[in-house]
Amino acid sequence: MKADPSDPSLLEPAGASDEQIQKVHAILLREKPEPTEGYSPLPLMLLGLMSALILFSAIYLGRFSGGFDPLVYDERILPGMLESGGAPVAQDPKIVGKRVFANCIACHQTTGLGLPGAYPPLAGSEWAQGPEDRIIRIVLNGLSGPIMVKSTSFNNSMPAFGPQLRDEQIADVLTYVRSEWGNNAPVVSPDKVKEIRAAVAARTSPWSTEELLKVP
Amino acid sequence: MPDAPSLASSLNPATPTDAVARAELSEIDASAKWPVIVFLLSGLAWLLVGTVFALISSIKLHTPEFLGDYEWLTFGRARTAHLNSVVYGWSTNVAFAVAFWLMARLSRARLRHGGLLIVAACFWNLGVTIGVIGILAGDSTSIEWLEIPPYATPLLFVAYALVGVWAVITFRFRKSEHIYVSQWYLLAALFWFPWLYSVAQIMLIFEPARGTVQALVNWWFAHNVLGLWFTPIGLAAAYYFIPKVLGKPIHSYYLSVLGFWSLAIFYNWAGVHHLIGGPVPAWVISAGIAASLMMVIPVVVTAINHHLTMVGSFSALRYSPTLRFVVFGAMNYTLVSLIGSTMAIRGVNETTHFTHFTVAHAHQGMYAFFTMVMFGSVYYILPRLLLKEWPSATLIRTHFWATAIGITLYWVGLSIGGWIQGTEMNNGGIAFIDVVQHTIPYLFMRSVSGIVITIGHVAFAVNVVWMLCARRPAGATVPTLFHPGPVLSTPTIR
Amino acid sequence: MNRGPLIFLGIFFALAFSWTGVVLTNQIQYGSLTPFYDQGEGKTFPEQRSGLAERGRLVYQDLGCLYCHSQQVRRPGFGADTERGWGERQSVARDYVNDKRVYLGTMRTGPDLRNIGARQPSPDWHFLHLFDPQLTSPGSIMAPFGFLYEYRRIVGERSPKALKLPGDYAKRRSLDTPGYELVPTARAEALVAYLLSLKDTYEFPEAKPYVPKKSGGAK
Repeated sequence: MKADPSDPSLLEPAGASDEQIQKVHAILLREKPEPTEGYSPLPLMLLGLMSALILFSAIYLGRFSGGFDPLVYDERILPGMLESGGAPVAQDPKIVGKRVFANCIACHQTTGLGLPGAYPPLAGSEWAQGPEDRIIRIVLNGLSGPIMVKSTSFNNSMPAFGPQLRDEQIADVLTYVRSEWGNNAPVVSPDKVKEIRAAVAARTSPWSTEELLKVP
Repeated sequence: MPDAPSLASSLNPATPTDAVARAELSEIDASAKWPVIVFLLSGLAWLLVGTVFALISSIKLHTPEFLGDYEWLTFGRARTAHLNSVVYGWSTNVAFAVAFWLMARLSRARLRHGGLLIVAACFWNLGVTIGVIGILAGDSTSIEWLEIPPYATPLLFVAYALVGVWAVITFRFRKSEHIYVSQWYLLAALFWFPWLYSVAQIMLIFEPARGTVQALVNWWFAHNVLGLWFTPIGLAAAYYFIPKVLGKPIHSYYLSVLGFWSLAIFYNWAGVHHLIGGPVPAWVISAGIAASLMMVIPVVVTAINHHLTMVGSFSALRYSPTLRFVVFGAMNYTLVSLIGSTMAIRGVNETTHFTHFTVAHAHQGMYAFFTMVMFGSVYYILPRLLLKEWPSATLIRTHFWATAIGITLYWVGLSIGGWIQGTEMNNGGIAFIDVVQHTIPYLFMRSVSGIVITIGHVAFAVNVVWMLCARRPAGATVPTLFHPGPVLSTPTIR
Repeated sequence: MNRGPLIFLGIFFALAFSWTGVVLTNQIQYGSLTPFYDQGEGKTFPEQRSGLAERGRLVYQDLGCLYCHSQQVRRPGFGADTERGWGERQSVARDYVNDKRVYLGTMRTGPDLRNIGARQPSPDWHFLHLFDPQLTSPGSIMAPFGFLYEYRRIVGERSPKALKLPGDYAKRRSLDTPGYELVPTARAEALVAYLLSLKDTYEFPEAKPYVPKKSGGAK
């Protein structure tokens, strides 16, 4: 705004009152000028710090990224480190069995203790730990009528699970029952279940204790 | 195109340019007055609301039957109402206020179309209000930092669109040739936030991603709200007010550049550190950890820059409220970020994850850093908008000491409690109920620190309202400092 | 750094970098992960939730349970998650493919709930615990959710869903009025159904625990 200060045409009315100017000037006058930047050079140690961090991060990323495979969740794994070589491994029968056992807990309970007076226990049961041919039949076709388990008598009826469970599931749940709650009996194989299922294919009614005791 | 008659143009042309520049600043302040005040007052209201929810939530954790009959105040909702009130209510409103004022001043351009911003403020606050009420009513999305129900978010979008339009116009019409460091941070923050928020809304609510991809989007979003929205605005304010109050230049332009770009590149990958040990691919977790460690660079760089600017002038902290709040904030920025980088290391994270240590860390960042810097900014800005001084130095002192002591008690106490909690939780031999019981004294301490902080907030609110209502004094004004400052012939420290 | 457009470009690419890496890449890599079909059992895992459990998930969401409870099991050796019985293995992404909203959570003010359905399968325990956590877990800091229950006059027969409160407790809380019963509302039933549905018992191929190869020799 370079103009001759004495030119009257430039002396227009001020855009603010005297009081306002005074106030503004007071606050503004004491303000320091708007901030600026100095140009001091970067400290050299910063370069060292940055290099160290970059190196460390690169090594860290290389080692703990599981080969950038989206299915690797354990950071310790690198491709080629798994025993199985990454191929699917068969499920542990006891884990599958436990899952299938969800069908049984309504009566036999999660503890395997059953309900006194109503449903027999499986824990410590001589039937559960006895001949597998008998219990496979029970699971396939059900059981009806009196049965003696751990010197206690039960008289109820168990439904058939043959139609809704596959051979592997029956084998796994029996394996689970035979090794849980202190039970100790050999595993049951799916092939055995398949064999028995074929043998009793014609049967539609539940078993009774007398019939089962005839099975070796 | 001749400007409307303004103070600057009506000054005698023979006046030294320094005074012209100052007059220009006063006009900028005047043009910014109403939008900034609206955002500031909204923020203050939300600060008080958020503080109430904070106290309720804190008490409920050690005394669960407190207000236990009221469904709308159940901890899950009260805590969420607190978070959204202080993040989208207080912090975002004050961030807008400070950002606009800084943008206007640094662009040396009068704040044009302030009406746009006032409308934006209305939409934003309406959206947050409906959102918080919705959360209390049970419509929370339960997506951390994105809990506001979908029926309120369109209001937030409208508000931000208006802000975005304004920002572009203002920057376009800037008069300053040099783009100062604060402006880089402000532009970046204003650009990054809507991108983050939109991606989160789309991939989490409108077209949800499948499975744990949701978690990745969630924490990319939430951590970046902290790192790419609040942190840059906090740093922009620190980079402005520290040199401004002292009348010294920032120590090194090169450090500023390095600090800015390293923050921009590394910070936004760090969010995955919220998912360490979680059901997401190991590689992205390791990338997040690496980025969190690389964050040491921008943090150390900024700390050096601020420190070397302050060196020789630490005595000013005795007098200037702005400087003291901002420097307290800036120091906590360094500390909380270094602690954060440490927490990202798997070995440390094994203990701190899922514990109150994380809560302490979050509050150190959002409060001890960001909120304190914002308080300092308000202490500088408001007198220039209202052309009045703060009525009470006692209230400023109360505000500072209550909040500084309160938040330090908070994060130190809860960090100790959280560390113990984590160590015990990782010991299978200690019953979980015992782990919980051992945290109770620290949770109680947190409530106590919350009450101390509340005293500070009340002092602040009273001072602001008093200042608003007081009549404008006639004649020259004297700044309200912590203690009366030294009398100098040159402009006094403020 | 005075060129606005250049700064803008840098700012853009900075966020584009992580958006691509964290969000986009993972969406592409495993965003279409599907349930796993098990040949032996003839069905896919994870299993779908029942309608009631889905409604319960919304109750879990509206009450904000995730702010105290996580839903992710860390691998053995990293924390004590498996030792505490919170899960048999590390949680993996496939466990969550059927979850419409994933509540991983970031706080363990309370225990992890990913397998609570397997760990605590008793609905009665859950109904008592939600009504007043002190009943099942004395010293707990979990909030009571009494508003999820209704104290009502018995009409006809006592409801089988009525809570069995210990005698002295019922007396103290004035919940032993003759002819009245405390029953869960539909929301409580839905919530408990959801909690009982939380069990990741299937072992996916990628979830096998890490057993390092033994060097030199057969396994």
